[in-house]
Amino acid sequence: MDIYLPIAEVSVNWPLLVLLGATVGFVSGLFGIGGGFLMAPILIFLGIPPAVAVASQASHVVASSTSGVISYTSQKAVDYRIGGVMALGGVLGALLGVELFRYLRLLGQADLAVALSYLLFLGAIGTLMLYESLGQILRRIRGEVTPHKDRRRPLWLYGLPLRMRFPRSGLYISAIPPFALGSFAGVLSAIMGVGGGFILVPAMLYVLRMKASVVVGTSLFQIIIVTAMTTILQAGRNQTVDIVLSTILLLGGVVGAQYGARWSGRFRAEELRAVLGLIVLLVGIQMGLELFVRPSDLFGFAPGVAE
Amino acid sequence: MIQALPPPPPAVEAPAPERSAATQGELRVAAALTDARVSVDSSFSGASIVLYGAVFNPGDEPTDVVVVVRGPDAPVRLVKKTRNMGVWLNSRPVVFEGAPGFYMTASTRPLGDIADFGDLRRLGVGLDHLRINAPEESRTVTRYGVRDVVISRLGEDYLDWRRAVIRLREGAALYNTDPEGVRFVDRGLFRAEIELPAVAPTGQYFAEVWLFQDGDPVSVSNLTLTVEKVGIERDIFEFAHNRPWTYGILCVLLAAFTGWGASRIFRRE
Repeated sequence: MDIYLPIAEVSVNWPLLVLLGATVGFVSGLFGIGGGFLMAPILIFLGIPPAVAVASQASHVVASSTSGVISYTSQKAVDYRIGGVMALGGVLGALLGVELFRYLRLLGQADLAVALSYLLFLGAIGTLMLYESLGQILRRIRGEVTPHKDRRRPLWLYGLPLRMRFPRSGLYISAIPPFALGSFAGVLSAIMGVGGGFILVPAMLYVLRMKASVVVGTSLFQIIIVTAMTTILQAGRNQTVDIVLSTILLLGGVVGAQYGARWSGRFRAEELRAVLGLIVLLVGIQMGLELFVRPSDLFGFAPGVAE
Repeated sequence: MIQALPPPPPAVEAPAPERSAATQGELRVAAALTDARVSVDSSFSGASIVLYGAVFNPGDEPTDVVVVVRGPDAPVRLVKKTRNMGVWLNSRPVVFEGAPGFYMTASTRPLGDIADFGDLRRLGVGLDHLRINAPEESRTVTRYGVRDVVISRLGEDYLDWRRAVIRLREGAALYNTDPEGVRFVDRGLFRAEIELPAVAPTGQYFAEVWLFQDGDPVSVSNLTLTVEKVGIERDIFEFAHNRPWTYGILCVLLAAFTGWGASRIFRRE
């Protein structure tokens, strides 16, 4: 049941990969996320070279986001205007990120960059999500009323030039913050192999104050564009995309995602957020741990050997 | 790219079967592989190749056989983790050259019992005698567009670094020493197994079969082995390397199409 992956140049058990794709797909459908942050670490754990894992699973994110965007479009829950501005930034960020990652690999510091970004971003986002959702659950149990949320946008959003109207999101703001947010997600996508939904969604909700109904669909739209760009760049510049690996993953992934989406209706939003926050936090800690634990072997090969 | 091999041994031909007893005066070894070509396809998960051979020994003095298999040269970049303010960080990568991508020895006895250190070193037989080095002079050069890549500045740690190259490759089953890997199945007839892991590099492999007597190499037989990707694996690999941009776009289209297809199928249900 083993299959030899032509680009990764390792032999893996393919039913296990289908199962992994389906599990991550289920989680991504359940929580409305791309699931890249889960997939990349597990692939690395299975022995796929990290560079190949990060690059190949980006196309899995493309597939699951595509089916997401299609269903959100039919519900009119995608703002293509602001999504386009963010995607433009995202493409720029992906270009920068792939070059940055290439440079870090040559310096032998790619592991550090990956571990640090997982620890910092997943750790912070996971903690925030867990804190916020647990608070909400506790208040519901105690029967307290949710405190009134501050709905004001930060003032600096209005002080910037290039203002644009985004009717579907109910916004009339400068194009610079969504562009910058998109670029940031693009860089992360290249380094961590993630779509960046876990950064985009909270930022769109709490900083830009977009209408909540269009946030997930729009972020998925931006994620498709950026991960598609990342996949092409990784293939073109680093030759690290394994089409066999990504095909196996996405066959399981798309099916899992559909079932996940059906199940998501059975849980309360804050309970889902609490579980997701916990998963995000654990993955962040697990990836960051290698920075602090004495490695079993002090020496290691740096990828990116010259041919 | 193959590292400098030991001085060319006297050519050894396969013995003609009709050879008469009177000409069998010399001591020599002949060997062959069951498979001179290993195909890496989608079901490849490593390969085991049998090397078999014969020792022609007219006298009574015992002989030893050593099989050395060397894969294509694969320079490596090694980093060492060091602790800085509680965090383990990678050092700058050090380039080691002369490390074959695959290396194994199999012998009738431990190599140290068969020949002395000097002979083994001269012939390059044994993991300790691989010419793995970071070129000696300390200097930093610009390599692959990155400045300040250290080529050699290891000082006292040099042996640790060199040993690490071997240890890491041993861990991946790419380097192997088997002091009992050559077995005599009958008088003068021996066999050894070459175990290639799934991560073995593709390319030309060279096998040497040395015959030692009294600690001196007396005969050698050279063989080659080719490991290559075949079929769809080869096509994908070549497509990804020759037309990387087209390949990337194709990967994305495939993913988008799968996502679209899935949402169509599941909506109908």
